[in-house]
Amino acid sequence: MFAAFVQGPLVRLIPVGMLLLALQRTLFVDLQVNGVIIQLMMATAAAAGVAGGSERGAVAGFVFGVMFDLAEGTPLGSTATAFTIAGVVGGLLALIAADPQWWLNALFTGLGAAAGALMIPVVRLFIGEPEPFQDRLTIVVPIVAISAAIMSPLLVPLARWCLRLKRPEWTQPVGDASTREA
Amino acid sequence: MAIYSVGRKRVILALLLTTVLFLTLDLRGNPVIDRVREGFSAAMSPVESATQVVTNPLERAWHGITNYDDLEQENLSLQEQVDRLIGTQAAAEAAVIEGKELQALYSLPSLSGIDTEVARVVGYAANNLDQVIEIDKGSRSGIEIGMPVVNQAGLVGKVTQVSPNSARVMLVTDARYSIAVKVTSSDQGFADATTDTTPSGLDPQQVADAATTTTVPPALVPGITGPDGLPIPATTLPGASANDPFVDATGRRLTPAEIAALAASLTTSTTSVPTDSVPGDSLPGVVSPTTTTTTLPVIEKEYGALEGRGRLRLPQIRFLQDSPSLAVLQVGDLVETAGGSESLAPPGIPVGRVLNRANRPGSGGPLLDVELNADLGRLNFIRVVLYKPLSEVGQ
Repeated sequence: MFAAFVQGPLVRLIPVGMLLLALQRTLFVDLQVNGVIIQLMMATAAAAGVAGGSERGAVAGFVFGVMFDLAEGTPLGSTATAFTIAGVVGGLLALIAADPQWWLNALFTGLGAAAGALMIPVVRLFIGEPEPFQDRLTIVVPIVAISAAIMSPLLVPLARWCLRLKRPEWTQPVGDASTREA
Repeated sequence: MAIYSVGRKRVILALLLTTVLFLTLDLRGNPVIDRVREGFSAAMSPVESATQVVTNPLERAWHGITNYDDLEQENLSLQEQVDRLIGTQAAAEAAVIEGKELQALYSLPSLSGIDTEVARVVGYAANNLDQVIEIDKGSRSGIEIGMPVVNQAGLVGKVTQVSPNSARVMLVTDARYSIAVKVTSSDQGFADATTDTTPSGLDPQQVADAATTTTVPPALVPGITGPDGLPIPATTLPGASANDPFVDATGRRLTPAEIAALAASLTTSTTSVPTDSVPGDSLPGVVSPTTTTTTLPVIEKEYGALEGRGRLRLPQIRFLQDSPSLAVLQVGDLVETAGGSESLAPPGIPVGRVLNRANRPGSGGPLLDVELNADLGRLNFIRVVLYKPLSEVGQ
């Protein structure tokens, strides 16, 4: 069990998550775009989905989300749900392309983060908070998504390292098309 | 390339169900989760401190780039505010002293008798939904959940989570925030001319002449406020000059009838000398200068519930009704906490001023948008009022 833990993704996810959380709660609270706080951890969860698929994205999102809830004092599990969804959506979108270009990764990460940002008020609605859907959401979601897409060239490799993934190596098929069919 | 399979679907489902379990446990209150939360906060504290030190130059550079113009603009407007406040400070201090004396006379509860704990704001919420700040004082300083938080301007919020050395404060603008408030007349604090019933014994001409030497501050017109909420000088009214409110711009003294018309047009709160109280003549509506006194009436119009509505949206007061026999709720009215045996805040904490009034059909009553006195975007030091509701004292 200990070996599984050491060799699993949590060993890297937790310390990286702490670092990202510290950045989120200090630097990124100040670096607001049009009054919107850029969601670094959510973007990383979506990037983990893009890099490693929906399952690994969900695990990364869950871990980051629980850490975020513990530090922020938000109901435990509320942000974790949103981050998990961000990772899952990022992973599902990554199924579209076998070896996506960087810009496709950015697009998928952005869309995953947008899904996560939309999930936060949904979860808050379910737990009975008043007026979770605000007009501002129309500004928040695009900014969170675009900022996640911009950060994805850094976040996707970071997520790949956290999840102990290696970049897929595709080999050139030998022979021409007619030979392969034969 | 990631492959989607049934096994993966199960993992995702298990994780989502776990979050639901966590949510259920946390919302019902779980001491284990509370301890884990405290432990995690303690573990994160050094990491955050180190990150703060490292990222400080970046933050400053960012603020330097993005906020320079705003700062210049704000400096100018602050200078204007300072100039204006210096002018009103003396009058305000006198009013406060008088108010305290009255409260002491009548043994009314006063905010000055409640202990407070000064704390520094050390963090803001890192998400885009909650309006929460973190302060550097906690239960070791006597802070408890529910205590109101104020700054020099007025109400800021209430304490919602406490750990030994820190606490979280939900701001008034948070959508979950609600508190009982009372709406008072905007005339409060302004000079208001009233008269006694003793006839002055002067003839009409003497009344008109003496009006120019009234002891009421001539610059203020009772009950009339400008767009900034401050009383409008009489000289800004049509037919009034700079030195004498009863002399028009051309230097011509107003006739008694014109003075009467002017006085009648000012406000209904101005008490006029009854016609029969001035012997020998009838000057309806003329303010008697010799018997004028300055009072600070507090007209409590209505009680309601102030509710936050989220970031960048003004809090609203609900559950109100106009009471035509007393007063109609209007823009510019003052809002302060109502107190009460179960209220988390003592009465009399200033909250803000009514900025908009929206009428609703039916029996819903009007909705009032409140512009807060405190600037919640620039909090640095705040005071936690160590107040417990009367219903909880002794428990």
